[in-house]
Amino acid sequence: MADILSETVLPEDLKKFEKIYHEQLYKNDVTPKAQFEYAWCLVRSKYPADIQKGIILLEELYKTHEEGQRDYLYYLAIGSARLKEYSKAMNYVRSFLTIEPGNQQVLSLQQTIKKKMEKEGLVGMAMAGGVVLAVGAIVGVGMAIANKAK
Amino acid sequence: MEEDILTTLKILIIGESGVGKSSLLLRFVEDNFDPEQTLTIGVDFKTKRMTIDGNTVKLAIWDTAGQERFRTLTPSYYRDAQGAILVFDVSSYSSFSKLEVWLNELETYSTKSNIVKMIIGNKIDVDRREVTREEAMRFARRHQTLYIEASAKTKDGVHVAFEELVHKIIQTPGLWENFGSDHIHVGVLENATQSGCASYCSLV
Ligand SMILES: Nc1nc2c(ncn2[C@@H]2O[C@H](COP(=O)(O)OP(=O)(O)OP(=O)(O)O)[C@@H](O)[C@H]2O)c(=O)[nH]1
Ligand SMILES: [Mg+2]
Repeated sequence: MADILSETVLPEDLKKFEKIYHEQLYKNDVTPKAQFEYAWCLVRSKYPADIQKGIILLEELYKTHEEGQRDYLYYLAIGSARLKEYSKAMNYVRSFLTIEPGNQQVLSLQQTIKKKMEKEGLVGMAMAGGVVLAVGAIVGVGMAIANKAK
Repeated sequence: MEEDILTTLKILIIGESGVGKSSLLLRFVEDNFDPEQTLTIGVDFKTKRMTIDGNTVKLAIWDTAGQERFRTLTPSYYRDAQGAILVFDVSSYSSFSKLEVWLNELETYSTKSNIVKMIIGNKIDVDRREVTREEAMRFARRHQTLYIEASAKTKDGVHVAFEELVHKIIQTPGLWENFGSDHIHVGVLENATQSGCASYCSLV
């Protein structure tokens, strides 16, 4: 049964939002909305290359569009987990939770990722090195979300 | 455990932002309530096993965000849903008047024509009601949906609502059988090879 990390976007949806994004890109006037909608489709693709592209778009939004930061962080976590980049995914989740510790949706995403790691025999890996760096990069902006959250 | 499951049903929760969709789901799945429940980002997902009329079914529940900025993409989660819960807040008339829009949305995007629909009037614990039970029931009857009043906060009506919905889905011919029988087949095959030992070993 498909869950939040395995359900996939319909190809026609991906095409539709890709078209809107590219039309705006062509006119050099991409709205955060169009970019987010396209990225949301991409990270739900069954092709890793699409997911990767979605992550790049989300990272860009995260840096440039403060208003939607919690949305972008959430989908960055999902995209990374789908690429099996679990330590990265867990970092996004953790940065989110430092700002909104009780967020049920993100807590449950954390559980889902942990379960997937357990299934793949990767428990403990997230503790390994290379993790701390990524967090530092995000936490800086984290403060901005904290202010925006309410 | 898996072998007892009759089928997996996909349930959808839709409605305006803030009416309590995620709260109803949290109450149903984890018997919990969060007065500071934050608004959903995109869609959330939870599963729950439930036994009804002697059959155990697994529910895969998709909780959609009601906020405007997610609306363009949430309908893509409607496909293949066998049940839809439309939630409004009894203390907000505007959330009730929007039900018509949500029903149309469902009509447009759901892929199963006989999908079972239920309206939940939530937050009945609140003192200042803006929508009467009678008016909501009339609306539900006119649109041929089930209607239940509930409070995610006090627990009232929550379990019953999901029970009724699932009961109705199971009773609707053609809504789940195809999908279900496939599913059971796979399950049976898996059990034949794997739990052959599992059950035997545990007996010894
Ligand atoms: N008094 C009372 N408050 C409730 C009830 N259900 C939910 N709430 C509160 O209403 C607010 C919104 O609830 P949510 O469950 O987040 O609403 P939602 O429909 O999921 O909103 P979106 O995710 O934006 O679509 C929260 O503060 C909840 O605590 C209820 O039955 N009674
Ligand atoms: Mg919600």
